[in-house]
Amino acid sequence: MRHVRGFDVARPLSIGMLVFMMLPLVFLPLASIFIFGTSNGLDKFWAALMAPEAIFALKLSMATSFWATVFNVIFGLFAAYVLSRYNFWGRNALIVTISLPTAIPTAVAGFALLLLWGPYGTLGRLLAPHGVQLMFTAWAIILANIFVTFPLAFGVIKPVFDTMSSSLEEASATMGATRWQTFWHVTLPSLRGAIVSGALLTFARAVGEFGSTILVSGNLAGKTQTAPLYIFAKFNEGQIEAANAIAIVLALFSFLIFSVLFFARDWLDVD
Amino acid sequence: MAKAREQVIPNQEKSQSEAAPPPAAASVVGLGKHFGKTSVLENITFDVAEGEVLVLLGASGSGKTTILRIIAGLEQPLKGKVILHGKDVTDLPARERGVGVIFQSYALFPKMTVEKNIGYGLRIRKRKRKEIRETVEELLALVQLKDHRKKYPSQLSGGQQQRVAIARTLAYKPEVLLFDEPFGALDTQTRSHLRREIRALLKKVKVPSIFITHDQEEALELGDRVAVLNQGHIEQIGTPFEIYNHPATEYVATFLGAANILDAVVRKDFVEVGAARIPAAPDPAKFQPGDCVKIVFRPEDVVLNRADLQRPGHARISSATIEEITFVGAYERIRLSLDRGSDECRREETPFYLTTETPERPKSIIATRPKPEASATRLYVGDRVVVAITSFTILEPQKNADETKK
Repeated sequence: MRHVRGFDVARPLSIGMLVFMMLPLVFLPLASIFIFGTSNGLDKFWAALMAPEAIFALKLSMATSFWATVFNVIFGLFAAYVLSRYNFWGRNALIVTISLPTAIPTAVAGFALLLLWGPYGTLGRLLAPHGVQLMFTAWAIILANIFVTFPLAFGVIKPVFDTMSSSLEEASATMGATRWQTFWHVTLPSLRGAIVSGALLTFARAVGEFGSTILVSGNLAGKTQTAPLYIFAKFNEGQIEAANAIAIVLALFSFLIFSVLFFARDWLDVD
Repeated sequence: MAKAREQVIPNQEKSQSEAAPPPAAASVVGLGKHFGKTSVLENITFDVAEGEVLVLLGASGSGKTTILRIIAGLEQPLKGKVILHGKDVTDLPARERGVGVIFQSYALFPKMTVEKNIGYGLRIRKRKRKEIRETVEELLALVQLKDHRKKYPSQLSGGQQQRVAIARTLAYKPEVLLFDEPFGALDTQTRSHLRREIRALLKKVKVPSIFITHDQEEALELGDRVAVLNQGHIEQIGTPFEIYNHPATEYVATFLGAANILDAVVRKDFVEVGAARIPAAPDPAKFQPGDCVKIVFRPEDVVLNRADLQRPGHARISSATIEEITFVGAYERIRLSLDRGSDECRREETPFYLTTETPERPKSIIATRPKPEASATRLYVGDRVVVAITSFTILEPQKNADETKK
């Protein structure tokens, strides 16, 4: 049937359909965390959140994710600079290799790290006699986070490098600047938006990491238990409320990061 | 008079070079560069005097940008030297040369305000804050951007960005200013306005400048001297007057505007064009009697008369028929078909060569007449007229482009 008056029934129908499909898939699961978590009152929720192990898990997640982010942003910046400024044999192979870690299952990533750094691993064996043990410590969590978020910052920064006009850097050079001065005063400011969004993406992904962390961390409460591991552990022990409190925090946290990425887009790309 | 002008110009050149030449602020000597087998630059040599503006004029692909980048240190020549104020800088990196480059895109730093952009060269030289502030203040006044000091480049018009770009390079007192087609991105009105502004600015600051462009009008207006480039070599270098009125080669003649080119034969004190003899004094060093050459003259050098009048200074070349008259505002443009003649160089019946404006009609030449003349003697299509010229130049026989490369 045609609607000559301009009212198109397909519009409300398709929007309704979209929301209806998302309901059981996205909205309800998210909503149930909040409904269940606060069903026994806010004070119960607060108490669950303030449990020392819970606070430790959150802090550990933030700290390990922070250092992984710092490393990957600096690395991503460096890699993007090299791979977009210089053309050399094997360049594309390097780009593919950098992007690889996201395609690997996180459990495989964790397992691979164990094989390398574990007490009997290729490198771990060399470190063990010196009393250095990386696995089952916070270092292992940082290493795992670095591995699984490796290409995220790089992937955001590289396209900006590629589109940046080389005449800015050339102008800076003719004006007497060293390469370092040019990078610091000219190149870096133009990358601000890409660096911030790359960092947020990396951080959000690292905070939620589970598969690799559970293999390399040892999952010791109060020692090497990150927030996602805490949720898993409490759920297994039947302490649904404790798991739920942290789940709410993590969900809100991700929501916040993606809101920043979405709504601050204009500011991040400002010229 | 045709004869007189032919002689005067070489004399002028001589008298200039005999007087002590001003020391060159910047010079390139024998620059050469090629990519694979394609030659990009061949033996480029020129000087820029203190305070002089030299324009490198050429079509795209003529190598002008490469020359500029080599002087700036952004590219390396395979052969030759770059000398700035007596110092060989060929092996110095861009940042140690102290040149100022105004890029076509301006290349202003987008995250810095106008002030910051202008002060950048001094900040990285670690000058004192007070000195930087004073210099920036002076330059803001010079380029009339005091009210815009806190703005970012994206908030400025093209012309304003251009001025920031110039001020930014002047701040650190460059040895030489290099302009890379700085008006390329602007509309015609802004272009001609900015051109005059920059010309005045350059005369004020007296920094030697090299300016590249493909626009002949821009070159003639801006340059103290103009070097015409063609496929990586300099065809001619001279004052705008010289290269426009006395082009050395056919390329220069046609690149700098409308030109009529005719075949001619050199004689002792005249040249033969078809059946006509035009008094001239061919330079014996360049031309031998009997040489087959081409002569070039501008449409405005042509005088048309209904009767065959002999006037001093007018050299009759042929009778002709008017084929087309076009009104183009400031003047009237007339296309004429010359009567055929013949000379010993070309036995075929078409001795006459071509005019750049109508290459598809090789027997036509173009004349222009200013308004007063056009209204005093009206001419109509089909009229028979006598064509005389007031001025012309004998072109040096053009070397084949392939030959020069080998």
